[in-house]
Amino acid sequence: MPPRAFEETVLPHLDAAFNYARWLTRNHAEAEDVVQDACVRAMRFFTSLRGDDARGWLFAIVRNTWYSRVARRASMTEVTPVDGAQDQTADNALDPEEQLLQQRDVARVRAALEQLPVDFREVIVLREIEGLSYKEIAAVVRIPIGTVMSRLARARERLLSVLKATAPMETLS
Amino acid sequence: MICEDLMRDLDAYVDRELDAGSASAVRDHLTGCIDCRQRVAEREALGRLIRSTPYYSAPDRLRARVSAQAMRSTTIRRMVPLAAAAMLLVSIGGGIALMRLTASRRADSAAATFASVAMVPMVDEVVDGHVRSLMGDHLFDVRSTDQHTVKPWFLGKLDFSPPVVDLASIGFPLVGGRLDYLGARPVAALVYQRQKHTINVFVFPDRDSSGTIAVRSVRGFHVRHWTRGGMSFWAVSDLNDAELTEFARALQAS
Repeated sequence: MPPRAFEETVLPHLDAAFNYARWLTRNHAEAEDVVQDACVRAMRFFTSLRGDDARGWLFAIVRNTWYSRVARRASMTEVTPVDGAQDQTADNALDPEEQLLQQRDVARVRAALEQLPVDFREVIVLREIEGLSYKEIAAVVRIPIGTVMSRLARARERLLSVLKATAPMETLS
Repeated sequence: MICEDLMRDLDAYVDRELDAGSASAVRDHLTGCIDCRQRVAEREALGRLIRSTPYYSAPDRLRARVSAQAMRSTTIRRMVPLAAAAMLLVSIGGGIALMRLTASRRADSAAATFASVAMVPMVDEVVDGHVRSLMGDHLFDVRSTDQHTVKPWFLGKLDFSPPVVDLASIGFPLVGGRLDYLGARPVAALVYQRQKHTINVFVFPDRDSSGTIAVRSVRGFHVRHWTRGGMSFWAVSDLNDAELTEFARALQAS
């Protein structure tokens, strides 16, 4: 690839990387650490960026970084379920942004999304928020396109049933 | 088609990932099935709700730290070409072979999607222009959702008049425009929005004419290119492929 500076290629996708990491970790501080580690790795492996999809490449590195942290922590503490609700205790301090979060539906949909198992949560975030195609999601998560589709379908079913159960949603009717 | 068949394709339909034939079969079914219309509407509403949750942008201190790291590693990398040059002097033959290999690999991947290899540098410029517009504070010279404000703004600033249309009715509102510089000439940049994604459309006169929309992805950004009515159009965004194609088709047809 042409001698293009790392920052021109990767920094434009830093927000997307952080958003993805924040939804993976459900924790602001941890998301920062994950993205910073991921960028260090990305710099080291910059020459391995063969294709043209720098954003997907960065997402994949963020994801690997997060999973290796989880695995490391699991081996130290024996129990760290990825899908459990126990990560949340670490995120007591609300961002100013979160304090402003008043709209009922938005707060509820966010809570419902945070409660989804990470496998479902990430495909929803990559699709609905980051706007990735099935093919791009398949490349980041390293699953077949058919699995992307079935995970999205199941994730949406779960979200809809949670949201319908907690309160009647005018927006969904 | 029965509801059960539709359930299988429902999410792909909502996500615009179905091929044209399957999508039209789904549409046919939907006209006669109120339950399935409800299912589609729920999923679309859910998508809107999810996109209305706060977007977690990278904190400034993280951006600063990553930039600082990149600066340090760039300093090291700058020395690498010097070493490479020295090697080249020792073994010119090998060096040339390597350059050829790189060039042909790049041409191969480009030819797969773009008919003309000559377009490739332009694609890079288009993506650079897009990134530049998002990094600094210079996305707009004229900020308006009104095509009748944006179009006249270019008068007297360019030696051509770019066609300007708002596509808000299909979910791609025009949000403004600016002057930019691409391929060694001043061009019109029209800015559209799709949720949080920005779409830049670069427009300038072009004698070539082809009805087809060329597709390319560079560094995580998608590019669509077509010519029409003596103008060259380059749409670029981090929006997903399907929606950018939908946008390009709508703009081309307008």
